[in-house]
Amino acid sequence: MLQVKAIEKYYGSKNNVTKALDRISFEVKEGEFIAIMGASGSGKTTLLNCISTIDTVSAGHILLNGEDISNLPPAKLASFRREKLGFVFQDFNLLDTLTLEENIGLALTINHRNPHQVRDMVQDVAMRLKIDDILDKFPYQVSGGQKQRAACARAMVAGQSLILADEPTGALDSKASKNLLEILSRMNQSCHATILMVTHDAYSASYATRVLFLKDGRLFNELIRGDRTRAVFYHEILDVLGLLGGDISDVI
Amino acid sequence: MTLSKLSLRNARRQAGDYLIYLVTVILSAALIHAFNGLVFSQELLTLSSFMESLPVFIIMASILVIAVTGWLIHYVTAFMLTRRSRELGTYILIGLEPGQVARLFFLENLAVGGVALGLGLLLGNLIFQVLRAVTLSLFHAPYTFSLAIPPKAVALTFVYFAAIYLLVLWKSRKRIRTMNIHDLIYYEKKNETEAVKKSRNRRKLFTISVLSGLLGISLLLTKILPLALLGVVCVLVFLYGFFLSFSSSVPAYFDRRPGKKYASHTLLIYRSLSAKLNTMGLTMATISLLFTVTLICEGTGMLFSALFESRVDGSTCFDIFVGTEASGIDADDSEEAPQQTNNNDAAISDSSATAQTAAPQANNPPAGASTRSIQNPESHTESAFPEFQPYLEYVRDQVPLRASMQYHIYRGENLQVTNYIGENASYYAYYDYDPLMAYSDYAALRKMLGYSEATLEPGHYIIHCMEYLGNLMSDYNDIVNIDGNRLSPGGVYTEHFAQKLWDGNGRGFLLVVPDECLVSCPVSHSVYGVMTSVPLTQEQDDELREIHENHMGGNAGLTYFSAGSFTLMTRTSLAREYASLSACTIFPLYYLALVLTMASATILTVQQLDESTRYRRQFTLLRKLGMDRRDMSQTLLKQFAIYYAMPALPPLLIGIPILCAMSYAFEPGTITGIAHLAGILGTALGLFFLIYFLYILMAYSSLKRSVLH
Repeated sequence: MLQVKAIEKYYGSKNNVTKALDRISFEVKEGEFIAIMGASGSGKTTLLNCISTIDTVSAGHILLNGEDISNLPPAKLASFRREKLGFVFQDFNLLDTLTLEENIGLALTINHRNPHQVRDMVQDVAMRLKIDDILDKFPYQVSGGQKQRAACARAMVAGQSLILADEPTGALDSKASKNLLEILSRMNQSCHATILMVTHDAYSASYATRVLFLKDGRLFNELIRGDRTRAVFYHEILDVLGLLGGDISDVI
Repeated sequence: MTLSKLSLRNARRQAGDYLIYLVTVILSAALIHAFNGLVFSQELLTLSSFMESLPVFIIMASILVIAVTGWLIHYVTAFMLTRRSRELGTYILIGLEPGQVARLFFLENLAVGGVALGLGLLLGNLIFQVLRAVTLSLFHAPYTFSLAIPPKAVALTFVYFAAIYLLVLWKSRKRIRTMNIHDLIYYEKKNETEAVKKSRNRRKLFTISVLSGLLGISLLLTKILPLALLGVVCVLVFLYGFFLSFSSSVPAYFDRRPGKKYASHTLLIYRSLSAKLNTMGLTMATISLLFTVTLICEGTGMLFSALFESRVDGSTCFDIFVGTEASGIDADDSEEAPQQTNNNDAAISDSSATAQTAAPQANNPPAGASTRSIQNPESHTESAFPEFQPYLEYVRDQVPLRASMQYHIYRGENLQVTNYIGENASYYAYYDYDPLMAYSDYAALRKMLGYSEATLEPGHYIIHCMEYLGNLMSDYNDIVNIDGNRLSPGGVYTEHFAQKLWDGNGRGFLLVVPDECLVSCPVSHSVYGVMTSVPLTQEQDDELREIHENHMGGNAGLTYFSAGSFTLMTRTSLAREYASLSACTIFPLYYLALVLTMASATILTVQQLDESTRYRRQFTLLRKLGMDRRDMSQTLLKQFAIYYAMPALPPLLIGIPILCAMSYAFEPGTITGIAHLAGILGTALGLFFLIYFLYILMAYSSLKRSVLH
């Protein structure tokens, strides 16, 4: 579904160049749940931004369903983002002035869906994420976990094929994190949503089916869960992080 | 770094962040200063006796202007305090005492205020020169450029601003001193309180306010004072009720109509607006009220301008006009016969006696035009109209004469045409007969006034009327009967013809008939009209006035003319009188309107620009979600346009009907037709929106730059 081919990303001016991504290549199959891990500054968010077309690559290609998205003109990029991608951010990124229903419905409005069907579609996805009873609330009236579930609902309501999550549990307590990760797993398993999640939390990554490790902008390692239990997978992730030499605060 | 240096640095930053606010304060200071200059300018106040009341009107307007400017400064200072509370809290956190922080805030605002005042004084001097030039040109007085402004004006402006700033900053200082670190750091996050808490109550209020608005406008249009006052109360209920309840009512409307809610950009636009109104409903209502006042001030200014213009042109077509009182008027019967004072009674009886002496001569059947009217009577040794003798002698000896004429206006037999006009137009009848003029007099007068020739076929009559009656009289096809002669309509003319007052060439209209029809008609009154080769000087005008007062036995009163009396009017005196009235009414109205628009638009703009960060966050998210750049641009523009249109729409709905009603309350003929009224309303709206759009444009370009780029 997604092919990342030798992408590079440079920041800075002529005299001071920072290489954020260094010839990264990997492939994501449809229905996969992939976590990208790494220490702060390893290039996780840059990689996600390049895949989401929010940022451009300096070299290399990103193909989604065979289409090279690294060279799309701005108008096509916008339509690509709204039709194919769903976003879940660390700080939820819900609009304060809209209710949860409206925040979720916003993705459909932007996609120019029939306005008469919006409420039903929102209701449907909200029931799956168990937030249908708080749809009339504003973001400031609900908990962080509920906000993040609303963000997940927004990311999938328009039938987006790839969900990109940037530290989705970063602002949540452990209970809400667990709840959200279970929801992401369920979205992946029952709705066959393809999820690419950036995290520096091993516990969060253990919910994925595959984990990619980044170090200094390079792909350092890859772990596939296979038939192992989540607990075993979690320990394997910790082992790799130990090899990476990551700070303990990056692990817990 | 010392505290004063930090204050100065903050003041510079504040001036940059709130540039539009600073510009408005400078402009307000400049306007206040310029108008203070008018209050103390002896040069302008001595132009005419009427100008003595100018300071009263300016100071009344200044009181309102100071109140509004004070409100603006207070609002923005409190706003800045909220936005900078975290920074001020941090100063305390790192060891400054609350008193020192309060002094810091006080000093930096005082510095900004001082700069604004200084620049305002400089700019005010220039604006004063413009006002001075305009005033002098109204009086046709010579203007020489000078940057001098009365020192008292500088002192008064300083006092006004010192009072505003000290009061506002004293309140801010008190507030900072009483707040602890936690309060200051989290002050920005504090939710703004809603005036009406329950959403259901707000929806009820919305319905009540809309009904109240409709009722208020209807009551205002009744033109009955007690009902109009009630209408004002209803309009106030509408404005405040509408803005306080809007944030609940519109979402409720869309919640019931999801199809509309999720269509196009509606969701983002109405939610953004209702969120804004949720917290600044009271401010929006006040701004809307100020805009209403602005629009009414500007419209009223335009109406007064039209009134004064029509009075100068309509009252006399001559440079000097002398008219005897109309004889045989039954004051009780005339629709609006002016009330006489006791003082004037004597004048009337005196002049009646004069008219009585003239009447037998005038009422004798005239043998021809030469005995009825006299062209250039100054060339005769003795006037055929003895009551005009003193004026005639003065004109002959002192005035550079171009042409003059003495003639009679005659009494018709009935009120046939008067009644027709009364039934079909706004018209105050004065005569209890249709006034008539001999064609030979009319032809001579037209020639003297430089109008085109008007021919009258035998058996016809001409109607000469004020412009606003022109269309109505063109439709009048009835035959009139003058002394047994049946006359048919023979044309309508509408040039200025001294028809606005009671003793000119008819009131509003006059029938011009063949000379032979007037053989046995009684005289209504006589007129002596003079055209000079150069305008009368103020001295000549004063001397004529003295002659008139002597002639009237000291009973001419303060003005040259009053209803039903022997009248003297000069174009010079009228022009000066209306120039004074213009200065006294139009200047303060526009002064007020200008400051109200600027202050209100500034508050809206400061609020809007403060939202830049929120807008940027919103549009960053929308971009990530895949919204087209064009869609984002349209959404921003619509959000922006509705935000600025909201407080401006109710004033249009309230102001335009009020101005239309007011225009018809002015004397008939002031507004010559729908096009004239539309022109006045268009100019008033144009002036208002010109200033408003400048602010909108500045805010939009700044917001678009920071949000979309």
